[in-house]
Amino acid sequence: MPSDKESDGFMSDYLKGELRTLNAQLPRRQKSLGALRKEEHPHVDCNDGSPHYFKKDEIEYLAEILDENEQSSLLLPIILEIKSDETGIIIRSKEGIEAKIFTKILGMEVSCRDDTVRIFKPQLGIIRKTLKTTTQYVFL
Amino acid sequence: MGVKVQVTRPTKMELTRLKRRLKLATRIQKIVKDRLSILVMEFMQTVRECASIKESLLDEFAEAYKGLSLSTGYHGYMNLEQELMVSEKDIRINAGTRNVAGVRMPIFEIEKSESLQAKSRPMIDTSSILDRSIELSQKCLETLIQLAELQNSLDLLGTEINKVKRVNNALEFIVIPGIDATIKYLTMKFEERDREEVARLKYVKQLIEKKEAYAF
Repeated sequence: MPSDKESDGFMSDYLKGELRTLNAQLPRRQKSLGALRKEEHPHVDCNDGSPHYFKKDEIEYLAEILDENEQSSLLLPIILEIKSDETGIIIRSKEGIEAKIFTKILGMEVSCRDDTVRIFKPQLGIIRKTLKTTTQYVFL
Repeated sequence: MGVKVQVTRPTKMELTRLKRRLKLATRIQKIVKDRLSILVMEFMQTVRECASIKESLLDEFAEAYKGLSLSTGYHGYMNLEQELMVSEKDIRINAGTRNVAGVRMPIFEIEKSESLQAKSRPMIDTSSILDRSIELSQKCLETLIQLAELQNSLDLLGTEINKVKRVNNALEFIVIPGIDATIKYLTMKFEERDREEVARLKYVKQLIEKKEAYAF
C-alpha cells in the first residue's frame, strides 16, 4: 500500500507533468508577423525547446489582411486562453489586430473590449481551421 | 464500481491532507477534461478535412490518369517515357512540427521553388496535352502530401485522445471517489470519536457524582 506522502507526491508530480505537457507548446518568445515573413522557415521555439513551424500560406494570408504597421505589431502565435470555468475563449489583444483578423475569418463583427477579444467554442473551430499553426492553446 | 477507502492513520492531519489532495485531483480533472474536449474538436476537424481531401484526391487522380492516357495516345508510349525521363525533377518538402494541446503533429510543405514550376523539357516534341497532364500530376502530389500530413495528425490525435480519456476516467471514477469516500469515512470516524468522548465524559461525571453522593 503506498504511503500518503508518496500518493501526495504522485498527485503533485502528475499535475506538474500535465501542466508541463500543456504548456510545452507555448512559445518562449512570440515573433512579429513582419519578422516571420522574412524568415525562410518561419518558426518559434516552444517551452520544451522544440520548434513550432508556421505554414507560409497562413502567414501570407495574415499579411494580406493587415497593413505594414499591423504586421509588425501582431505577435505570433496568437494565444487562445481556455479556462474551464468560462464558456468562451479569451484572446489578449492590445491593439485589436486579432479582432480584425477574426472578423475577417468569421465574417462577423468581433469586438475588442478591455484589451480582450472573446470568442465562443463553435467559432474556435472555424478559426483553427484557417489558422492552424498561427494560433496556440493555453489552458488555465 | 466499488470505491476503496484507503486510510493509513485516522488523524486530523490525514483528513487535511486528503482534502488538499481532493482539491488537487479536481483541478487536474478539469484541465484534463478541457484538454480532451480540445483534442476531440481537433480530431473531428481533421477527420472532416481528411475526408474532403481524399475526395478531391480521387477526382484529381482520375483527371491526371485521363490526361496521361490522352498524352500517351498523342505522343506514343516510348516518346512520352523519353520526354518524362528528361524532365525528371527533385522536389523539396519542408517538414516541421506543430504542437496542439501537447501533441506534436507534423507539417509538410512543398517548397514552391521555380525549379518545380518551370518546364525544363525541350520544347520540341511536346504538346499542351502533356503540359496539362504534368500540371495535374503535380497537383495530385501536392494533395497527397496534404493528406499524408492529415492522416499522420489523425493517428497521433487518436492515440492521445485514448490516453487522456483513460486518465480522465481514472480520475473521475477511481481517484476522486476514492478520496471522497476516505474523507467521508474519516469524518464519520471523528464524529463517532467525538460522540464516544462525550459519552465517556458523561459517564465519568456520573461516576464522580455517585462517588460524591456516597461520600456524604
